[in-house]
Order: sequence, then structure tokens, then C-alpha cells
Amino acid sequence: MSTISNDTEFRQALDALSLEQQRTVASRFVQNVLSLSGDSRLQQVIDAVEVGTDLATAFKSAKRVSLEAHARCGSEGDWNEQAGYFVARAAQAAVEPQVRTAGKNPAWKAAMQCRMARTCLASDSDEDTHDLETGAQHQLLTDYLNP
Amino acid sequence: MEINELLIWARGPAFHWALAIFVFGMLLRLFEILSLGRKPDLSAARDSGVSGGLRTLFTRSLPRPAIFSREPLRILNGYIMHIGLFVVIFLYRPHIELFGGAWSGLPTGVVDAITAVTILSMFVALLMRFYSPVLRHISTSGDYLAWLITLLPLLTGYLAYNHLLLEYTQMLTYHILSVELLLVLAPFTKLTHLFSFVLSRWYQGYLAGRRGVES
Amino acid sequence: MSKPSVEKGIQFIKAQIDAPVASFFSSCVHCGLCAEACLFYTETEDPKYTPINKVEPMRRIWEQEYTVLGKLKSALGLSKPIDEATFKEWETLVYDGCTLCGRCSVACPLGNDISGMIRKSREGFAAAGYAPPDLIGATQRAMEIGSPMGVKLPAVKAQIRHLEEDTGLKVTIDQQGAEYMVLLSSMEIMNFPEYLEAIARIMRQAGKTWTIASTAFEATNSGIQIGVSDLAKVIVSRIVDAAESLGVKTVISPECGHAYTAVRWEGPNLIGRPYKFEVKHILEILDEFTKAGLIKTEGMEEARLTYHDPCQIARKGGIVEQPRRLLNKVASNFVEMRDAGAMNWCCSGGGGVSANERAEGLKLKAFKRKKTQLDELQVDTLVTACANCRLTLEEGLEENGMDIPVVGLTEMVADHLVEEERGS
Repeated sequence: MSTISNDTEFRQALDALSLEQQRTVASRFVQNVLSLSGDSRLQQVIDAVEVGTDLATAFKSAKRVSLEAHARCGSEGDWNEQAGYFVARAAQAAVEPQVRTAGKNPAWKAAMQCRMARTCLASDSDEDTHDLETGAQHQLLTDYLNP
Repeated sequence: MEINELLIWARGPAFHWALAIFVFGMLLRLFEILSLGRKPDLSAARDSGVSGGLRTLFTRSLPRPAIFSREPLRILNGYIMHIGLFVVIFLYRPHIELFGGAWSGLPTGVVDAITAVTILSMFVALLMRFYSPVLRHISTSGDYLAWLITLLPLLTGYLAYNHLLLEYTQMLTYHILSVELLLVLAPFTKLTHLFSFVLSRWYQGYLAGRRGVES
Repeated sequence: MSKPSVEKGIQFIKAQIDAPVASFFSSCVHCGLCAEACLFYTETEDPKYTPINKVEPMRRIWEQEYTVLGKLKSALGLSKPIDEATFKEWETLVYDGCTLCGRCSVACPLGNDISGMIRKSREGFAAAGYAPPDLIGATQRAMEIGSPMGVKLPAVKAQIRHLEEDTGLKVTIDQQGAEYMVLLSSMEIMNFPEYLEAIARIMRQAGKTWTIASTAFEATNSGIQIGVSDLAKVIVSRIVDAAESLGVKTVISPECGHAYTAVRWEGPNLIGRPYKFEVKHILEILDEFTKAGLIKTEGMEEARLTYHDPCQIARKGGIVEQPRRLLNKVASNFVEMRDAGAMNWCCSGGGGVSANERAEGLKLKAFKRKKTQLDELQVDTLVTACANCRLTLEEGLEENGMDIPVVGLTEMVADHLVEEERGS
């Protein structure tokens, strides 16, 4: 498989990877949207994946960030900030302990959250930036599979 | 006034006036409630409001485990007090004769024992009202008044039956007077719950029945 | 909303007093059992949170306006006042210290609907200007923008696009004659977009037509939470107008507790007439679909999990068995917490409390009750069916260092959905 051009191929390719590989790919997806979050802790979370250090601590950190970032019920929703929430959730997915995901692909989860983060920016306008992220993810995966 | 004159008065006009005030007072309280009316519920009913209302008249007399476990003594004491009052008022033969009732009562010795227990439960209730932070916070002078006017007939009745403290005719007179005090004041205290409980349980139960929810 | 005043506040509370309320105050014997049902009391041990105490201002108004004895006492100058100080003192009891969970109403031996009275009291407090600023803001946004969190249609459309591209499913907007109209809560739109995806997949499997209304996608009714019926009415009317003009059979209320109470039970009374459509909670729909074999599930979650009953859905909504039936289809290790079902304890964030930043500390204290339930049970996952409960639980768990993921039931069912092959 040389190029990923659609989501079916995308998903299949992700499923074929090992857990470690999935985490690595997930962290690359997150890296791509990291600028949408103002929280510096998330960089450390992704770094943990690359380096292979304590994922449990990274997970705790990502969880904390996403909790702090979520829109409080009834508060004025800010979609730009909400993007940060989804970035945090993507980071969370990348380092989530296996026992909790029960076999669900962390890379796919992370990819979806990253796209949602990008979608947030479009939420206040009619711009469609969503496709950009999907395309970027296909490219990232292609690059990973063909180093 | 000579004690026998007082007794005759207590048994006669005083009793009729007290009863009249009691009936009139309670009817007034019920009128105050019912005259406010309530808007019909326009949401689509899941189930019957009537069966909900009727069921709730009974379910609230039973304790819920989650609540009972937190205050078992207070709840048990409440049962003892209410059941005791019922027995003492309605299953004591001299009272049944007074009401002109056709049902048979319990042996008077048994009623006497139950009276003692009920008086005890009243004092336990009073102590709890003093010592529980919640009860201290929400209690009013009305609570203590209601307590007193309920206790006096029990106490004087017990003392009269057992020929204690005062000469029998005197004690009996005070017993009847204490009942009259209770009758006259009851409609103006929380003792309205004697009748209004039917309404409060019904109203919530009816709505709960329509919604198919716990009640 | 015209200028607030104590006078207005009193008038508004007075208008809320009906025969049931009068019967409740007449029957209350100050037994104090309502406190034992209330998590704000049990976890703080502060008797001021005793539910019947929360409605003392209303009781005073009832006594002084609607009883002969009360009028007499007033004339003799023996009545307690209801003034600025009263509203100030009771504001935090009526808002911060109460989630309208309804446990007190079920516990009262006299059958008093105390939480109903607290809800009614809020009408007066809001009119007097004594409501939490956060709730006032949310309601204003709901009125002007259509969503308490300021979620506008483009945001919903963006999410729909995201959903359509990722799943290949179609979501229609304003489809005339669709069988179902789906409502979403702002919380779900902003924090849990997977809910919409779950619905889309489930509806497709069940072969049902459904749509989202562009003028009424919002389910949350902050008018109810703050206690301003006029606003609550406007918010509900949007839903009613949309549903009736689209000619849908059923409106689906999302995983949000108060939204269900607002649209299912209070709505018709707010607009003054029955609806021309049915309202069902998503759990009722899922239960119906699985019973009729319209959707099937496969596979089981093996984690040890339990279910938190959202107050408005279980105790006040009557939807207790449906989530359990659904969970038993997709979970092999489902255990119940103590007091599960209609008497379950509130998450501590309902009724506007989670939207009220001022109440944060109190809310976290009240959460200890849920913590106690969970500590006893030792589960790996917590499932619920209300977006607000979900976040409140997550925050509480985080605060207490408890590592238990919280999952939405609809999502969980969708995760186990048997689906035909999707085209791209």
C-alpha cells in the first residue's frame, strides 16, 4: 500500500498496525493540531509516546487538560477554546491504557478528535477546514508507512 | 368553681364548643387549601393519575430503606407514637362508648401499657427535637405547642386511669379539658396534617402516576 | 425581563402557590427526614440545606397571603418578613445548594413535593434579581442566540459535516415529514459530538427517518433551571413550532436530564396545550428499537461497570428499567450501586449547579456522596445517560483522584451495534 487516499484505506491501515505503532501514529496526528491548544502539557504527552516513557502519567495529564478545557454547562461557548478540548481528547486517546479501550484503535480515536478540533474552528463560520485535516492525516499515515 | 361543676361544664358545653371549633377550624384549613385550585397537567400521561394518587396515600406510610437507614430511631419512634395515639384514642372502651362506636376495643390494661409507651415516645421525640441539628434548625414554637397539646391528654388520661397525682374526678376533669384544648388549637398548628396528609400525598401521587414515576 | 424587585419576587412566588403547595405546607410536621435524603445536607451536615428550609420564604408568603391565621398574625405584626435580606440569605440555598434532584420529594412521609416547591421558588428569586449570574447569562444567551452556551446553527452544521464525512451517513436538516426530530443539548454539541454520530448510526440501522430542526436543535432549557417560566416557554415553543411544522411523530430528547423534564413534562403546561407529537428520551427509543429487533448488538464490555441514574431521567422521568435492559445487552459485568434506580443519589451538578461557578466548592462536597457509592462498588467504568452528569462525574472523580472513565450509554450501545457494510 503506497498512498492512503480515503478513509476506508486509512482505517484498514491503522487496524493493521501494532498498538505501539498506533500510538506513534496517533501522536503525529495530535502534533498536527497541537497549535489549536494553548496548553503546553499536551506537548509532553505526545513526547511521552515518542520516547516511550510513562504513559500512565501522560494519560493522567491529558485527562486533566481535557477536563479543564471542556465547556462548562451554561457558560458562553468559545469554539476556538473548544478546539483545545478536542486536542486534549486526542492526546488522551493516544496514551489511553489498553484495558480501557478494550481493543478500540487509539489512532482512529485520536484522528477523529483531531478532525473535530479542526471542525471547531469552522463552527463559527461557514468555512470548511475539516477536509484539510482528513487529507493531512492520510498524508501523515502514508508518510509513516513509507519512511 | 367546685370540681363537679367544672367536670359537668367540661363534659357538656365546653366539649360541644371545642368540637365545633375543631370541625370548623379544620374545614377552614381545608378550604384554604382547596380554594387555591390547581391547573390541569397538559403533558401526555404515561399512566393513571388516580391510581398514582391512591397508591401514594399508602406508600408514604412505609419507610424507604435508604431513608430509614439514616434515622431508624426517629422513624421507629414516629410509628410508635402514631400507632399508640390511634390505639389510645380509638380502641379504649370508654372512648368507644363516647363516640357511640360499635367496634370492640382492646383490654383496658393493654391500652394503659400502650399509653405509657406512647408518652415515652413523645418525650423521645422531644429530646430528638432538641438534639438533632436539623430539627433544631427547622423547629418552631408551633412544634412545641403541638407537642404539648398532644401530650397533655395522654398524660392526664394515664394519671386518671391509674389514680395518680390527683383525686380521680379532678384528674378526669383536667383530662377532658386538655382534650378540649387540643381540639380548639389543633386546626391552628401542624396538626392539620391529620387531614391534609390525604391531600398532600394525593397531589404528588397523582402527578407521579401520570408520569409513571416513583412515588 | 423587566426590572427585578423584591415586590415582584413576592408576587411571582405568590402566583406559584396552588392547592398542592398549600397542602404541603399544611402537612409538614418538621420531621426532618427530607434532610436525610438531600446530598447537600448529608455531605456538609449543615442543617440549612434541609430541603423544607429552602422553601421557608415561600412558606411565609403562603401563610401571610393564603391563611386566615397568617393574615391575623400579619395584622398584629407577628409575621416574619420577606425582604431583600430574605432573598439574599436564601439565594444560595435555592440555587447553589439544590440540584432539583427530587429525592426529598420522594422521602417525605407526608407526600410533600419539596423539590417542586424549590423549583417554583426560583421564579420569585429570579424576579427579585437574586439568581446566580452564570445562570442569568446562560438564559440570556438561550433567549437571544437559541442556546445557553451560544451554540449557533453553523456550529451544528459543521459537526454534521464532520459526522457525514467520517461515517458516510447522511444527516438531514428540516426534513418535512421525518418520523423523528432529534434534539441536542449544547453540552453534547460542544463536548460529546460522538452522541450525534451514535444516533445517526442507530437510526440508519433501525431504518428510521429523522431530522434536526434548524430553528430548534437545542434541548437544554435554562429557563427551567433559573426559574423563569416565560423564558422557559419561549425556549420550548421553538421546539414545538419546529416539530409541528415539520410534522414529525416523535421528538427525541437527548442524554440531558433537565432537557427531558422541560420538554416532556413542563412544556405543554408552559405553552398551555398538549403537543401534536410525542416526546421520548433516547433511552426509551433505544429500548423500543432493541425490543422490536430493529437494532441488534454484538459483543460485550467485560469491564466491571455500573450505571448512574440521572435524576431527571430516572426518579423524575420514570426511565429506570430501560437503561438496565440496554446495559445487560452490552455488558457482561454490570453491577448496581447501593440505592440504584429511582432512589439513586444526584451527581451533584444538576438543576443549574454545574453552570454556577460560585457553587463549585459546594458541588464538590456534595459529590462525596457519589464517591461513597462508587468506593463501595469498585468499578472500572461508570455509565450514564446525561451529558451534564457525565462531566460533573468526571470532574468529581478527577478531584478525588479516582481513575474511572465515564461513558455515555447511547455511545456504548452504538459501539456494539450490528451494522451492515457502510459504503464510503
